[in-house]
Amino acid sequence: MNYSMVKRLILKDWYLQRIAIAASVLGGIGALGIVCLGGQAAFMAGLVLLITALIAVGAHLAIATMVNERKEQTLSFVMSLPISHAEYTLSKLLGTLAIFMVPYLVLVFGSLALFAIPHGVPHGLLPFTTIMAVEILLNTCLMIAVALVTESQGWTVAAIIVGNISINIVGYFVAHLSGIARGMQGGSVNWSTTASVTLLVEFGLIALMLGSTFYFQSRKRDFL
Amino acid sequence: MMDLTVDFKGVSKRYAHFNLDNINLELPTGSIMGFIGANGAGKSTTIRILMGLVHQDAGTVKVLGHAMPAEQAAAKMDIGFVSEDMRLYAAATLHWHMNFVSSMFPKWDQAYADKLIRRFDLKPQQKIKGLSHGQRVKAALLLALARKPRLLVLDEPTTGLDPVARREVLGELMAVLADEDRTILFSSHNTQDVEQISDQITFIDRGKIIDSDNKEAFLDQWRRLRLVLPQNSEVPRLPGVIDVGGSGRLPVLTTNRFDPGMLTVCQDLGATVQAVDSMTLEEIFVSSVQHRRETVAV
Repeated sequence: MNYSMVKRLILKDWYLQRIAIAASVLGGIGALGIVCLGGQAAFMAGLVLLITALIAVGAHLAIATMVNERKEQTLSFVMSLPISHAEYTLSKLLGTLAIFMVPYLVLVFGSLALFAIPHGVPHGLLPFTTIMAVEILLNTCLMIAVALVTESQGWTVAAIIVGNISINIVGYFVAHLSGIARGMQGGSVNWSTTASVTLLVEFGLIALMLGSTFYFQSRKRDFL
Repeated sequence: MMDLTVDFKGVSKRYAHFNLDNINLELPTGSIMGFIGANGAGKSTTIRILMGLVHQDAGTVKVLGHAMPAEQAAAKMDIGFVSEDMRLYAAATLHWHMNFVSSMFPKWDQAYADKLIRRFDLKPQQKIKGLSHGQRVKAALLLALARKPRLLVLDEPTTGLDPVARREVLGELMAVLADEDRTILFSSHNTQDVEQISDQITFIDRGKIIDSDNKEAFLDQWRRLRLVLPQNSEVPRLPGVIDVGGSGRLPVLTTNRFDPGMLTVCQDLGATVQAVDSMTLEEIFVSSVQHRRETVAV
C-alpha cells in the first residue's frame, strides 16, 4: 500500500469539498447558537438543525466524492493515476470520514460543551447525546459504504433514507431503554452499562461496515 | 527477441451482451498502434483491461513488464492515459490539476507542460468548467504528456473535436513521436486520424481482433481490381480475393493479398484489367469487417 498516494488522493477530496466543509461547520455553529438561546423550543430547533447539518454533510460527501466521481466521469482520470484499487478504496474511506470528522467533531464537541455551561440542558442527557452522536457517525459510514461499493445514486439515496429513518428509530428505542431513560432528566451524568453496551454495538457496526466495504471492493472486477 | 510494451495473451472478458474473445495483441516498444473498431467493437474494454481498470476473465496481460491488473499501480507510473469519456474536476483549475498530477509523477516535466500550455492556448488559472470540449481534451492530453510516459494510451481522444482542435491534438501527437522510446496505442473509429500517426494497425470487431499488421503492409496488400470480362465468362478465381462486387461483365475484386502476378492471371483468363485501385485505410477497415462478418455468418 502506497500511503503517500493515498494521502494525495485524500488531500484532493479535501480541496474539492472545502466549501461543503465550511458551510456545514458554519451551519452547525449557527444551530449551536440557537441552542444557546435557552428554552425548550430553541433547544429542540437547534438540535434538529444540528442533526440535519451533520446528516446533510455526510450525504453530500457520499454523493460528491464517490457517486459523482463515476457520474461526472472523473473516475477514469483518478484511476489513470499510479494507484491500485485498494489505495483508491482506502483513500475514499479515510478521506471521506476525515472530511466528515471536521464538522462532526466541531459540532459534537460543541454540543457536549453545552453541558458545561448553565443553559438548562439536564446533564443526564449526556449518555443519550453521545450515543446519538455515534449513531450519526454510523449512519454516515453506511452512506459512504453504500456509495463506494455501488457507485449508484439510487442506492446511495436509499441508504440516506434508511439512515435517516434509523436515526429516529434508534433515538426512540435508546431513549426508552431503562438503563438510559432512568437518568435522562437527572442533573448528573449516569453512565450505565446499557449506555456502554449500546456504544460498543455502534462502534462494532462501524468496524463491520468499513471491513465489509474493503471486502466487497476487493471482489470488484470492473472499476470503470 | 522483440521488446514488447503491451502483451495480451488469450484475453477474454464476458458480459451479459458482449464478449471480448481470445485477444492476442502485441505492441512493440517504440511503435504507434492504431486500434480501429466500430462503436461497441471492444476497443474501450481492451484498453480498460490494459489499464487494469477491468479484470480479464481469462488470459494474461503484461504492460511495461508488469502483470495486470495486479501490478497496475507500478505500470501506471509510466502510462499516460486519455479517453474520450475522461473528465477533469469541473470546479478546479488546470493549474490545480497540474499540481495534483505532478505530485504523483516524479518524471513530471514542468517546462514541457508550460510549452504545451502555450501551444494549446490554455489558461492555467481557468476552471475546467469554463473550457470548451476541445480545450478539455487538450488539458487532459497535457496532463498525460507532461508526466513523460513510456506508454501513451489514447482512447478516442479526437472524438467530438472541431477540425482545428483535432489538427492541433494530432499535431502534438506527431511531435511526441519524435521520442523513439515512447509507445503509443491510439484507439479510434476515425481511420483518417489513425492513418496519420500510426505505424501499426489493428482492427477489432465484435470483440475479436480481425487483423493486425504494419500500416504499409495493409496499404500495399489491399487493392481493388476493376476488370472487364469477355462475354459468357466467369469471374476469375484468385487467391486472396475476399469480395467480388460490381456487376455482370464489370466485376470489382477486393484482395487483401495483392500480388502483381494476379494481373497476369486475369489477363491469361481473358479478362481485361481496367484499373488497380489503392484503398484507403477506411475502405480496408470496412472491407475487412464485412468479410469477417460474412465468414462468421456462413
